[in-house]
Amino acid sequence: MIKAIPFALLLLLTSWQVTAMADAADSVKSPLGYGSKNYVWGKMTREQADILRLTGDAKRGKEAFRGCRGCHKADAAGIVDGTYPRLTGQHPSVVIKQVTEVRAGVRINPKMDPFAAEHAVSKQEIADISVYLATLETTRENGKGPDDLSAKGKAVYKKHHCAKCHGDNGEGEEAKAFPAVAAQHYGYLLREMRHIKDGTRGNSHPEMVKVIKPLTYNDLEAVADYLSRLPDYRLATKGDKK
Amino acid sequence: MRLVNRCRCLAVVGTLAGGLLAMPLAQAQGAVPLAERLPLCAGCHGQDGNSVVPENPKLSGLDAEYLVRQLEDFKSGKRKSPIMSGIIPMVDDKEFKALGEYFSGQKPAPGKAVDAKLAAQGKEIFDEGIVGTAVPACSGCHNDDGSGSEKYPRVAGQNVAYVVQQLLNFKSGERANDSKALMQAVAKRMNEKEIRAVAEYVATLTGGEQ
Repeated sequence: MIKAIPFALLLLLTSWQVTAMADAADSVKSPLGYGSKNYVWGKMTREQADILRLTGDAKRGKEAFRGCRGCHKADAAGIVDGTYPRLTGQHPSVVIKQVTEVRAGVRINPKMDPFAAEHAVSKQEIADISVYLATLETTRENGKGPDDLSAKGKAVYKKHHCAKCHGDNGEGEEAKAFPAVAAQHYGYLLREMRHIKDGTRGNSHPEMVKVIKPLTYNDLEAVADYLSRLPDYRLATKGDKK
Repeated sequence: MRLVNRCRCLAVVGTLAGGLLAMPLAQAQGAVPLAERLPLCAGCHGQDGNSVVPENPKLSGLDAEYLVRQLEDFKSGKRKSPIMSGIIPMVDDKEFKALGEYFSGQKPAPGKAVDAKLAAQGKEIFDEGIVGTAVPACSGCHNDDGSGSEKYPRVAGQNVAYVVQQLLNFKSGERANDSKALMQAVAKRMNEKEIRAVAEYVATLTGGEQ
């Protein structure tokens, strides 16, 4: 009887299971991350300090980024549906923090894990990649929400003082490793906000969890949509920052 | 056709095994000049590195350093192959560089898909990856045209059966000499059908040559 199951169906089942597993694994609580006893947001690790002391080189970074291009694409624009985030213009401090925290297991990300591992990307390469990405132009349209909720999103963003860390233009802050969020893919913004709300983004800022907890799913959709419709912050803040 | 090739391959292996037995010890007898060494490689890989036996890789146009690294890994046992591990003790390490440069300098012969329909599915995976199972696009490291880079080998025009076997070996961990273990991580996320599709497409790539 089992033999009668067509092979194609089996394949379909297997691939569905893998997908479901990948999604579930993405929202697993990290034993080292937010909610665990010794978790302190932004407490600099030895490795992060080492990398920050290195001088990154954009040209070397472009070559090292090859290992990332399979998912984040050659132009670092990620995928429009938000499965993989856009990385162009992200602050070097943020890239360094995220890559090292994925590989330390503070932020659980099974998709990225093997590619962020120590044997896959050296400290120098992380420094190089971070400089390369910061200088990279955004040339491709990012993914927006299905409906324009930017008016509501803007109001929620303002009311809950998101700009305090992420800036009026969604520019984040290099010095504090607060990520730039403007012009990011809607799907990615929404997913990460949900993980932060659920406590399953391991390296969440506790302040942000507090802010986001009372927000409804619709609020999150609106904020994600608003941010996705902002221009790349480097266009919005040209001249008046740094 | 395939059977014929396999027979030819076995014949070559047989000859080599005979040669091995004739030698008192399968040990390097010191470095020999390239011209003397080439026949040993050409038996399986072709004089110009364009192996016609689908199970054996084409070496033409591959990065010289990549080829040297593979020879070193066969020698150290880091990369395993029933055939190469029998042959490599006969080759002196000092010959690796000349061999790598020789085959790297040969013009790659175009490859051919065995199954065009499967190759079309392979193109999708090669260019875009498989989002649902987090398989990165092959083109990320190996380039859209399969030409590779300093760090990631050329795959364009490679023999289908060889590519399938290597991806299966990476998947199982049998082959673990990949730089940064990235190929193992990717292959583990692929099923056999996807592996076959990608291998078919890779064979059709030209690596930018006309």
